[in-house]
Amino acid sequence: MKTLSIIIGKLTLFAGKILHRGSSLPGKLALKVDKRILSKLKYPQIKLMVTGSSGKGSTAKLISDVLTDQGYRICFNNAGSNLKYGVTTTCIKNCNLFGKIKKDVLILEVDERYTKEVFAEINPNYLIVTNLTKDQPPRQYHVDVILNEIEKKLPKDTTIITTVDEPFLRHFELDVPNKNIHFGIAKNKYSYHEELFENLNTYYCPKCGAKLKYDYYQFETLGKYKCPNCDFKWEEPFILGTKLDLEEGTIEVNNKKISIGGDMLFNAYNTLASFTFLKEIGIEEDKIIESINNHNHNKNIEFVKNNKRYKALNCKAENATTYNQCVYKVYLDKELKDVVIGWKEISRRYNHFDVSWLYDIEFELLNNDSLNKIYAVGIDKENIKKRLLLARIPEDKIITADSLSEIKKSVEESKSKIIYGILNFDYMEPFESTFKEDTL
Amino acid sequence: MITIAHLYPYELALYGENGNIKALTYELEKQNIKYKVILIDKETNLELEKYDFIYIGSGREKYLEDVKKRLLPYKEELLNYIESDKILLATGNAISIFDFLDFYEIEYHENREVHDVDATTSLCSGNIKGFQNTNHLIKTTKNIIFNINEGIGNHNTKMEGFNYKNFYATSIIGPLLARNDKLNQYFVNLLTKN
Repeated sequence: MKTLSIIIGKLTLFAGKILHRGSSLPGKLALKVDKRILSKLKYPQIKLMVTGSSGKGSTAKLISDVLTDQGYRICFNNAGSNLKYGVTTTCIKNCNLFGKIKKDVLILEVDERYTKEVFAEINPNYLIVTNLTKDQPPRQYHVDVILNEIEKKLPKDTTIITTVDEPFLRHFELDVPNKNIHFGIAKNKYSYHEELFENLNTYYCPKCGAKLKYDYYQFETLGKYKCPNCDFKWEEPFILGTKLDLEEGTIEVNNKKISIGGDMLFNAYNTLASFTFLKEIGIEEDKIIESINNHNHNKNIEFVKNNKRYKALNCKAENATTYNQCVYKVYLDKELKDVVIGWKEISRRYNHFDVSWLYDIEFELLNNDSLNKIYAVGIDKENIKKRLLLARIPEDKIITADSLSEIKKSVEESKSKIIYGILNFDYMEPFESTFKEDTL
Repeated sequence: MITIAHLYPYELALYGENGNIKALTYELEKQNIKYKVILIDKETNLELEKYDFIYIGSGREKYLEDVKKRLLPYKEELLNYIESDKILLATGNAISIFDFLDFYEIEYHENREVHDVDATTSLCSGNIKGFQNTNHLIKTTKNIIFNINEGIGNHNTKMEGFNYKNFYATSIIGPLLARNDKLNQYFVNLLTKN
């Protein structure tokens, strides 16, 4: 069955190549022939899985790039097929007819709801959890469900890599016997002392339930915390990033500057997650840094047109944390600005119309004198407008429109010199093309 | 001065639930009605006699149980609060907390109920829009609030929620008041009338 499963998978891959169609069908068919095929393959010695609510793709990609630079042969599901069929497709593609994956390292980006389906069969020696936040409520329900699903099937000898800055992720130390390795970010010029966000996941100590106190916050519940009632507290991590500079897009580790590949805080966390894993498996620090700096370029959409600076910030619909990061970024810029908010669709996975997550985003931070106009664009323009009104943003500052082209003239004639887009990923390219294009 | 108590927002904060408070206070501000919102955390003692409106929203299961244990000693006071026509609104799975008041029973659905909601109600005109994302539904089909066109009702019927005097319990999130202006206005009217 094993060999037949591999042959079916490989033939389907071949057919897909001829037809120029990539999909997870090969994995689906291979699993149909042998549903335990993943447990029968021979994997490389180093097996890494990367999961989390956001950032898993870019974290896994950076690790793959660095290891490739160092001469390692990598098996990686870089096409973003992170469910069981996709993972199986990648493994079938990279193995021979005997089921041996002839690579040095296996890197799998895995959807957080699907780790339970592949943990036991692949038995990874490392698991990076980038974060666990509110995300896709109709599908995910809440973080306890996700945490429980990851922990329940997690092999005991898998080493977990997470940030120590997030108290909720410390559950991996408290709930399961696995080894934990941490990374974190030191206090920096963006750290703040008062809670800025509401409706968060973790206010209480995961050990004893007392309300956590913070020396400072990095963002939402990330920061330097301690429990006033027990010994639970932020601890010095294995890798500590210092001198974070978002304008420059860099952070330092052991006094060496690393590019974080963008100007958002999550870029820094994802880069440090990659760095931590690479260092743990024995790659020389200087080589990691050189390689990261070669690959980690700022991929933000940012341009100047007719004396105005346009900046598109990439968010994930139904994930309030990614929106909060962007809102916070805009909040920190005190220049007079216009802000565009919108998306084509909330979810590609289902047809539900849940807007509850909009109320977990702290749009209140945008309600100040530096906001000139704010545009609610797309199919949910009225729901966005309603949320902005309830954030007490004056109605005369809010403009609704069905499309970006509808607001182009108004944006171009605005007195603001900076235009931010707080956008779902499906509005990033349209934002760039609409505002870069010359007006006829 | 109207006093709105938001119960346990640091624990019961699943689905932007404070959108309901934002909607309510927005309307009060528009009508120049003075109010204050008190956030009740687990270290705070309840002072029910000081509240005009109590709101409680959805939470993770472990917190639902904690909150219920915390409220149990207040059973008589809560019943007196309700009998004195003061307002208590519970949305989403927070409805499961109040089964100890013995107005209704709760039904636990192993498979989470995830539905868009379209409904009508005698509380206001027009259609109600919302969302359900819960394992908990009310079993009792008496004193319902909503007639469901789309979504799921109590005990798999097309009737949803529970209402006695000014105690309102519904599995609908939304946030309900933020998405439904007329229903929001209904609660504002109740508050100002009281």
